[in-house]
Amino acid sequence: MATLFRDVDALLRGRFTRPDQLAAGRVDVPVPRLLVVALLLGGGYGVCMGLFGALRGGADGWMQIVACVTKVPLLFLLTLVVTFPSLYVSSALHDAPIEPAATLRLLLIAIAVDLALLASLGPVVAFFTVSTTSYPFMVLLNVVVFALAGLAGLAVIRRALESLFGDGAPAESAEPAAVRRRLATRSSSRFVFKAWLVIVAVVGAQLGWVLRPFIGSPGLPFSWFRARESNFFEACANAVGQLLR
Amino acid sequence: MSVARVAWRGAVDELLRGRGRFAARVATPWTTVALLIAVAGFAHGAALGSFAGRPIACLFSGIKVPLLLLFSTLMCAPLSYALHALLGLRDDFGEAARATVAAQATFAVVLAATSPLLLVAYASTASYRAAVAWSGVCYLAALLAAQRSLRRRYRVLEQRAPRHRLTRLAFTLLYAFVAIEAAWMLRPFVGAPMLEPTFLRPGAFSNAYVVVVQLVVDLLTR
Repeated sequence: MATLFRDVDALLRGRFTRPDQLAAGRVDVPVPRLLVVALLLGGGYGVCMGLFGALRGGADGWMQIVACVTKVPLLFLLTLVVTFPSLYVSSALHDAPIEPAATLRLLLIAIAVDLALLASLGPVVAFFTVSTTSYPFMVLLNVVVFALAGLAGLAVIRRALESLFGDGAPAESAEPAAVRRRLATRSSSRFVFKAWLVIVAVVGAQLGWVLRPFIGSPGLPFSWFRARESNFFEACANAVGQLLR
Repeated sequence: MSVARVAWRGAVDELLRGRGRFAARVATPWTTVALLIAVAGFAHGAALGSFAGRPIACLFSGIKVPLLLLFSTLMCAPLSYALHALLGLRDDFGEAARATVAAQATFAVVLAATSPLLLVAYASTASYRAAVAWSGVCYLAALLAAQRSLRRRYRVLEQRAPRHRLTRLAFTLLYAFVAIEAAWMLRPFVGAPMLEPTFLRPGAFSNAYVVVVQLVVDLLTR
């Protein structure tokens, strides 16, 4: 437990994303330990999220907790799996100054930060779960919590990108054409990463919809997945509509 | 007895002025703070409950006020810690935590200080709505004082690192979000003379925000 807390502390403090290491294109991080941390944090939030289904669902409502504990970390890891190939291809095409393995480790750090923020808001979600019977409210609360945690993850990546692309001005002795080329490469690499962040946000949101139910609608029996229909954004608009009805 | 009284009076004075044991960089006397919140919160809660004219309502409200403060603070602590670490302010977390707890204690002390005024207001009206409005005024005064206390203690932190403004804002927003719902759940605080005193109302486990949204929608669609 103490080791887990130390790892989370080091993660949040940015010990795994030191600017000097990033400037050299290195991301030194104990991947297996970070994976365990991510799974535990995601599972922790999953318990808080699935509690609504457990309390308001039928006899097998407790299965919603099991499903959420499994699906929350899975959602993040699947988002990474789905979006990483496109990032790798685009960044390699633009000659980004970071190796694929280091990029993957950096993204894993961002996901773990994301999950740490989610877990820190878990008690608040659990409290509202206990005190609320409104399903649309819980949907919107979880969307807001995921968005806030997502912003934190993006901030970590943005900070890392500043270290990667911001420092190391070309040497004065370099040819002007070479300097221009290098600056253009940095600029396009930065654009690739930023575009990729938008893709991650959209894919993550839609994957969350595909992997639903997370909260568990009180009127419906427990199921691991729901039928293919609609999309995340339409569902959010519906939840707002139900709340206002 | 008199020594204890002087120590208490000293603690309240130091808390309100942000000096001595409650200066920004001094280790917080946690026991004193917890006792201050408990005693001052209980005193104000008892005053709130007194409108019902029954001792049991005073006891219930007396327990609920400090409970509300402590519960809301605890709910916000994990996010506050995570944000401090994430923004590179982990080493200041202890100081920031002391600032927030001192603000809670200030809130409770100001509430307690307004209790005599509240009792006079209660003695002057038989209207339950007026009683609730008066208690709202007391909460507003305490809230402003607590914010002032928080800002004063955060000033040093914000001068050191302006990012502390973000952590303060995040804590304040989340605290308000949680405290409003917790207060809704723990109602009634003001004892209603026509109702049997209860610790929680029937239907306590409902959502304040949903109720407010529905009220607004009803008003707009009427």
